[in-house]
Amino acid sequence: MQPDGSLEVENTVRAVLRDVLGLSAERVAAFRADTPLFGALPELDSLAVAGVLTEIEDRLGILIEDDEVDGEMLESFGSLTRFAAAKALG
Amino acid sequence: MIQAYDWAGGREAMLRFGPDTGPVLVAALPLFEEANRTRTFLVTILRALADRGIASALPDLPAQGDSLVPTRQIAIANLRAAFADAARATGRPAYSVAIRSGALVDGKAILAGRWHFSPQTGPELLRELNRVRQAGDGGDFAGNSLSAAFLAELDNSDVEAARTIRLDSDPKNADARVTGAPLWRRAEPDNAPALAALLADDIAAWVRACEG
Repeated sequence: MQPDGSLEVENTVRAVLRDVLGLSAERVAAFRADTPLFGALPELDSLAVAGVLTEIEDRLGILIEDDEVDGEMLESFGSLTRFAAAKALG
Repeated sequence: MIQAYDWAGGREAMLRFGPDTGPVLVAALPLFEEANRTRTFLVTILRALADRGIASALPDLPAQGDSLVPTRQIAIANLRAAFADAARATGRPAYSVAIRSGALVDGKAILAGRWHFSPQTGPELLRELNRVRQAGDGGDFAGNSLSAAFLAELDNSDVEAARTIRLDSDPKNADARVTGAPLWRRAEPDNAPALAALLADDIAAWVRACEG
């Protein structure tokens, strides 16, 4: 896994959360690996999750299967970014 | 101004913008929920085009917008037939302007050109619909009851060649890219007037080049 690629994936996930959930750039810039997502962000309901995943797929050119989506993957900004990076760079 | 147009399955409403002469841009919103999220944006583009002296029409398609046709009866063939009849009803040279899955409906119309913003293919829409259904109760598709025939049809529906504009965050092929956020993903409908003006400039220059 390339460090440069990981940063690009992280920035993409950040931008997707901003664009899909309508969050401010300042708010998503403050996201850290341990920032909780699903259950902690009121904007991230189950329909919004569908939009976030599809937009991540489109921007990174990956496919996420439904059985890969679980609470753990969506638990924090770090877990979502790690999942996306493994798909895009792995 | 609100007009109506007839197609084989009935009569639907059509919003008109701009001058009574010259070519007409016939606009197509995305299907289903994304239409609600992009309607204000598309109308902003069409009003900006009217300011630039170019006319347009925004037809309600069967089972979309204010149409009384139930979503259960929706079919790509019907959407394409209705869009073609809406274009014909203008009686003037027509061009399509479509956003996202709206690009699926201009395939049967007699057009002088096609312009697509972030077009979505049938299989891509099908994948999203299935994901949305899973996010809900697994029954309908975010409030839309759809037939198995339509879902099968979607899996084999592609978009026609067109001048294609995409957001710079979208890696798929495009003739030009613009900076902006995907309004069609936002749960709360929003607008982007500066982007709408930029796209209106692109459409106006493209139509004038096509018209010679």
